[in-house]
Amino acid sequence: MLANLSANPDDKRTLVVVFLRGGADGLTLVVPTEDDHYYKARPRLALKKKDTIALDGNFGLNPHLAPLEAAWKDGDLAIIHAAGCEDTTRSHFEAQDLMEHGGFVAGGWLGRFLRARGPSRSPLSAVALSPTMPEVLSGAPSAAAFQRIEEFSFGKKSAPNFPAELRRLYEKETGALRVAAENTFAAIGRIEAIDTKAAPENGATYEEKDSFHQGLRQVAQLIRADVGLDAASVDLNGWDTHFTQNLVIDDNIKSLGSGLASFRRDMGARMATTTVVVMSEFGRRLGENSSLGTDHGRGGVMFAMGGGVRGGKMLGTWSGLTREMLEDPGDLPVWNNYRDILAPILTRHGANAEAMGKIFPDYALKPLEL
Amino acid sequence: MKPVSRREFLLTGAAAFAFSAVIFRSAQGWLADGQQYLGMGLAEPLNGKITPPPNDEIDPIAHTLNRLTFGPTPGEYSRVAKMGVAAYIDEQLAPESIENGRCNRALARFCDLWGEPLGEHYEEDDDALSPILRRVTTLRAIYSKQQLFEVMCEFWSDHFNIDPGKGDCRWSKPSDDHNVVRKHALGNFRDMLRASALSPAMLWYLDGHANEKRKPEDKANENYARELMELHTLGIHGGYSQQDVMEVARCLTGWTLRSKKKTGAIKSELFNLKKALSQPANWKPLNDRGEVYFQPQAHDGGAKTVLGQAIPAGLGEGDIERVIDIVATHPSTARFLATKLCKRFIADEPAESAVAAVAKKFTESKGDIKATLRTLFATPEFLSSAGGKMKRPFHYIVSALRVTNAQTDGDKPVLQFLEKMGQAPFRYPTPDGYPLEATAWHATLLWRWKFALALSNNQIGGTSIERAKLQRQLGGDTALMATVLNRRASAEEGDAFLKSGDGLALLLASPGFQRC
Repeated sequence: MLANLSANPDDKRTLVVVFLRGGADGLTLVVPTEDDHYYKARPRLALKKKDTIALDGNFGLNPHLAPLEAAWKDGDLAIIHAAGCEDTTRSHFEAQDLMEHGGFVAGGWLGRFLRARGPSRSPLSAVALSPTMPEVLSGAPSAAAFQRIEEFSFGKKSAPNFPAELRRLYEKETGALRVAAENTFAAIGRIEAIDTKAAPENGATYEEKDSFHQGLRQVAQLIRADVGLDAASVDLNGWDTHFTQNLVIDDNIKSLGSGLASFRRDMGARMATTTVVVMSEFGRRLGENSSLGTDHGRGGVMFAMGGGVRGGKMLGTWSGLTREMLEDPGDLPVWNNYRDILAPILTRHGANAEAMGKIFPDYALKPLEL
Repeated sequence: MKPVSRREFLLTGAAAFAFSAVIFRSAQGWLADGQQYLGMGLAEPLNGKITPPPNDEIDPIAHTLNRLTFGPTPGEYSRVAKMGVAAYIDEQLAPESIENGRCNRALARFCDLWGEPLGEHYEEDDDALSPILRRVTTLRAIYSKQQLFEVMCEFWSDHFNIDPGKGDCRWSKPSDDHNVVRKHALGNFRDMLRASALSPAMLWYLDGHANEKRKPEDKANENYARELMELHTLGIHGGYSQQDVMEVARCLTGWTLRSKKKTGAIKSELFNLKKALSQPANWKPLNDRGEVYFQPQAHDGGAKTVLGQAIPAGLGEGDIERVIDIVATHPSTARFLATKLCKRFIADEPAESAVAAVAKKFTESKGDIKATLRTLFATPEFLSSAGGKMKRPFHYIVSALRVTNAQTDGDKPVLQFLEKMGQAPFRYPTPDGYPLEATAWHATLLWRWKFALALSNNQIGGTSIERAKLQRQLGGDTALMATVLNRRASAEEGDAFLKSGDGLALLLASPGFQRC
């Protein structure tokens, strides 16, 4: 029996970062059902209270996120409204850049988190289930971006005897290079042993044609295979709903809700050491526009699931939607900085105070009780 | 007369716009042109009979090549065997004497860019410059004959690390590469440190540009001052205190630069004509951007004490010279740099005797980098360290391309392998630079093996090797193995070479080729 490929017990934890690209409308995902200003500002787009799933008396969950209700009730899902970053340009590029870098600083916060913890022994410490490396992982030691985990192998075209002959040479080695090769062969073996066609566990199901679902499914397979996965990044695109929002957004919300719920079910007990955090570069304007859509705003919503979060409640500051509480030109402000939400999660994933200073430099953290 | 910026030119009229947009895209255009140009081949054809390394162990010739270069090309061992190791070291320490025309000519079209006034760079699109810089750096490492110079450029790029991903650095890092790193890589350390301290990219990267004292309550920004001592000179345990950090920061108040935008926002609107027309204020030229200047009104003019040395009040912009002198000549700086150089050229944990000898020379020579390196290469510890270091990913990839005499355009497919291994040029986020020690890179083996397979089978876009020709010219399997490994293959290696079904890939993936 091979041990976990990572060096220290904290490495058993995996952080999964889901980025909703395009500026997800937090007020549609998590509806302020008791706030009249919401209904006045969105006469055609507002969700009726009776159609939402009651959360805490002030908010209702979008009905398409119904699959997440169980996690909420189990205290395994925390929701933070009015969350986001300092960027006020309302530019996708700049807000994503800032939120992935974690400030005006080089590299991504996830990359710096992985660096700050020292070298990982696992060749699969960080993965992005995407064609290219997201900025959030920039600067990470040996992060891999791929769309199919089968890419982590010698490939079907390599000569059949090649791996065995190579292995033989590394077995002649002594010292660190031999250990590194052993870890790599073990990781390859574990990936190869993954039956990528096998049904998920605990009756979970993922949509075959949904790339977000397939990304989460593969993250689950990697975690279960004990390849030493510290962090994974999965994107869900298409949240830029300026025009006929409801037509566009519903499928995305369904994909988000069912995907996360399937992942949680699939992970089962391992969810205790796996945290999923969901973020977007900004929320959208409170008032709907003339084309049944919403424009770029400021505060959005963030979710944190699993990994021991103190969930089942709305966390952070919320100051309502009265005019004087809005930020010009009528946006929900960012009351809860994304770094204060990420910090307690990163702490649980092994970042000490010194590391945190490198992960989020030039920012006085006020971590949420999360 | 003030030169006309591209942007002014751009806005002189609609017709001019159509024309100048072409010039604007010149950087990207050069890439495409370069591709054609490079298609002719940067790698020189192998000529004549090539004698591979004849010994079972890495001999002094092979060892010198392993360490002073990004890996030898097939004919290099023969050449150095003829001229002798001492002469080779002399040659590499005098890069200006090395004929490097083929590489220089091919890359000139990219590199002309760095010679332009810095302000012109700010006219480029956000992501125009960094990819060129990465590519040029990779191609030089592969094809330049001034190998030790390129190795030292890599060393100093890590030592004075700047990730162009931070704000304005995306426009100013190429100038830092040209005017700090490459200008002084084999020059004098004090000169390089001074150039780095006032480099627009460094002033931005470590927040020096925002280090001001205008009102009594203003506190200096300590970011650069701390890294100057912790990373660039004395080292973390070099004997400076928090008080010294604060005093150095005070000395450097007032130095700033003309930034792209005050907010640090970075999206260029150059190609958004609508936005440009709607905001006439943005029409002003950018070609004074990046200019470094001293603001006396933002300088703390009081007396300071740095590392026990008094700096009198009122020196103004003279403070920085005193600070640079104090830290550059501090004994801890000599030790810190000697340790890093020994880690690069000797071992991850170099012997104290070697560090002491190199530090002594550094001090005696007043920071002469050539003299310091010459001493290092003559230490018994250097001579006895053959094969004991693990190549970092960049070194690994470049050495594989060199030893196979590959033709490559150094473009994305190669870069993607480096990204997977976490060592693409200029992508290290924090100021400490890519780690020198092997432990940081142990998790990269599979991507090395996959690179070896892909290279051997010509599956890397923009890169090709002539495997059969190489083998024929070298004179068969034994010679090919010795050329790649820089020594004769062991019995096990020879056996695996034959049985693997892909001998060349096996050699490049083998433990012997991970080391140098």
